[in-house]
Amino acid sequence: MAALSTAVPAAGPRGAAVSLLPLVVLLLTFVSLTACGVRPPSPDILRFALVSMPVTLDPRFATDATSSRINRLLYQRLVEFDQDDLPVPGLARWERLDARHYRFRLRDDARFSDGTLLTARDVAATYRHVLDPAHASPHRLALAGIVSIEVVDDRTVDFHLEKADPLFPGRLGLGILPARLITSDHPFNRAPVGSGPFEFVAWPAENRLRLRRRRDGQLLEFIAVRDPTVRVLKLLRGEVDMVQNDLPPELVRLLRAREDIVVRTAPGSNFAYLGFNLTDPHAGRLPVRRAVALAVDRDAIIRHVLGGAARPAVGLLPPEHWASDPDLQPLPHDPAQARVLLREAGYGEANPLRLTYKTSSDPFRLRLATIIQQQLAEVGIAVDLKSYDWGTFYGDIKAGRFQMYSLMWVGIKMPDIYRYVFHSSAVPPAGANRGRYADAETDRLIEAAETAPDLAGQARYYRRLQARLLDELPYVPLWYEDHVFAARRGIEGYRLARDGNYDGLAGVVRRGE
Amino acid sequence: MMRFLVSRLASALVVILGVSVLVFFLIHLVPGDPVEVMLGEGSQPADREALRRALGLDLPVHVQLGHYLQGLLQGDLGVSLHSRRPIGEILLERIPATLELALAGLVVAVLIALPLGIIAALRKDTPWDGGAMAFAMLGVSIPNFWMGPLLILVFSLWLGWLPVSGREGPASLVLPALTLGTAMAAILSRMIRATLLEVLNEDYIRTARAKGLSWGQVVRRHALRNAMLPVITLLGLQLGALLAGAVITEIVFSWPGIGQLVIESIQRRDYPVVQACVLLISLAYVLVNTLTDLCYAWLDPRIRLGQ
Repeated sequence: MAALSTAVPAAGPRGAAVSLLPLVVLLLTFVSLTACGVRPPSPDILRFALVSMPVTLDPRFATDATSSRINRLLYQRLVEFDQDDLPVPGLARWERLDARHYRFRLRDDARFSDGTLLTARDVAATYRHVLDPAHASPHRLALAGIVSIEVVDDRTVDFHLEKADPLFPGRLGLGILPARLITSDHPFNRAPVGSGPFEFVAWPAENRLRLRRRRDGQLLEFIAVRDPTVRVLKLLRGEVDMVQNDLPPELVRLLRAREDIVVRTAPGSNFAYLGFNLTDPHAGRLPVRRAVALAVDRDAIIRHVLGGAARPAVGLLPPEHWASDPDLQPLPHDPAQARVLLREAGYGEANPLRLTYKTSSDPFRLRLATIIQQQLAEVGIAVDLKSYDWGTFYGDIKAGRFQMYSLMWVGIKMPDIYRYVFHSSAVPPAGANRGRYADAETDRLIEAAETAPDLAGQARYYRRLQARLLDELPYVPLWYEDHVFAARRGIEGYRLARDGNYDGLAGVVRRGE
Repeated sequence: MMRFLVSRLASALVVILGVSVLVFFLIHLVPGDPVEVMLGEGSQPADREALRRALGLDLPVHVQLGHYLQGLLQGDLGVSLHSRRPIGEILLERIPATLELALAGLVVAVLIALPLGIIAALRKDTPWDGGAMAFAMLGVSIPNFWMGPLLILVFSLWLGWLPVSGREGPASLVLPALTLGTAMAAILSRMIRATLLEVLNEDYIRTARAKGLSWGQVVRRHALRNAMLPVITLLGLQLGALLAGAVITEIVFSWPGIGQLVIESIQRRDYPVVQACVLLISLAYVLVNTLTDLCYAWLDPRIRLGQ
């Protein structure tokens, strides 16, 4: 190296100047682009940041949360839900003519964005399309009890069911499409035509979707920004006006400290839980599950990690749900009792309890799992934490390849979720009983609830079922996460929904900042 | 030259066919069923079967492969399992964004690395050299997921000069290109410095000086040209990687390119989209490598292509 350095004479000043030319070019380009490139965001458009764009704007095929929420803005449904998650009239009022026969009468004022009147034929065409197995709609299962759909007149449509189902109106949450466009195979996924409060304008880029509010022409743009930090930076800079959820607590704290940003939270119904494999020799033992439940300090996690934006959970349904038992109490944090239970179950230094805990690779979920791992270690449960990409994690959970895992149920409205999750016949692929939980009393209560003649009768059984599940602990309930909405000061009128939908955009306005 | 191009084209076809078949089998081995991802848990067996039939997933794997290859020959990449849109249409939306970012990143990298590498070599063991190499070390050490937000903080939030993210006009290209470019420039400048130092010590450089050429002429006409061969190879590889999608940078800057599409499609088990993306990426690599070989011949006429 020494020989090399002596062989190379130093470049003269001109040589250095020439070699710096590319840097100068780069700097000049940078300056010229920064000088002319930034336009202030147009105040005529309201911008809402999302984590990801909707997969499809066709409600017959949408399954992801973003698609469902945006489709609610574009299409109207026969039935909506009130604050207690009871079904209420949306596009139509209904009456039960007999246990297996429902009649829906449509409102007179519903028109599609192309100006045509929404009629009973559109309702029938939408549901018939979904029910046709050839179209492979993911929503067919929920509607499988429909035997036939009959158009009585322009405003009236009848549904005939295979068997009595008091929950039936709540199943009609599908956006209604125009029949003539269904027939012509219109590409609703990219060019939706609905009767909702918004109409489609353009999808100009893969990460930007533009809608127009029908009542006042207000433009709304959804912008996908996957990284939460960047989403917040865009909000701070005014490139977007609103963000909702999927923000780590430290970013929410940062936003709360800003004068130009308004942060609001509202109780949510998204249910976080720990699930167990009931066929596992350790996780299948009740004292072990109970010890885990007592060892987890939910309050501390909610306070210190979730920034207070959650409330302890008692079961799948939040306490305000019509079928929920509001008197059930969350499990206490009692590490001493957890240690006693483990000792009585035969675990100790000579026979330590070791569990494998699977979670997704989402950094925030991983952080929560690490804290739970630490809390379980304090009562003597050694936890091997394993995180996987979503597809692998979900595949393992469905196949029963786990001892313990954490997940979240999102957007639950109907109490028949209990059959889907806890009935012994609902082991995947038949349902979502991933832990292979089999309890005769649980099955009996689920079946009794389903055959109750009305909602009040169903609620009685579902409340008993919740108490049973809290005793048996196939899930350890963790918390219901709040919804967090942050907007630039001057953005007003947004109402946060308990299921996290974006319906509040129908009333949002920008006042002078 | 013609013979070279024909032989490269033939080997490219073999590579692409091999990659297509390999990816087809690999993706079918990955845990996770697209039908279950689409229909959700608890779907009825009849619905799952109907969807499998509709998507052609009920056929034996070798028949599916046959259909896939047949479609490829006809220019039909298939339909996305999730959005049910033609994949060709999806890729056409993403390719311009990826090309734009890859080329801009490469230009930034070259514009930074060339002067730094040359100065570091010509002024070896001086503070210039130390400064340039410290920059290189810094660039290679800072990961893009940190560099991106840092640049956003400075240039978008504090100075307010550039948009935070998105793909809306030339200004929005600056920060992602800088993020990619600085990381790449770090590696490139070290490579330029090392090869230039080696070349400057060759006999023909001394001869050129003895002929009376100025030092600047020697560097430009002889040293740089010869030092560029390994640099071009590296550039080719880097460009290939960029065309495959700069995933982190695309995510940080919400850049709607191939990288984001690949990640989303893998997560959703959207087999046909993943296959199409991998095919595209292998095509990009083959194309860039061929161009790299052509550059060799231009830089060093002693290299005769096809011989």
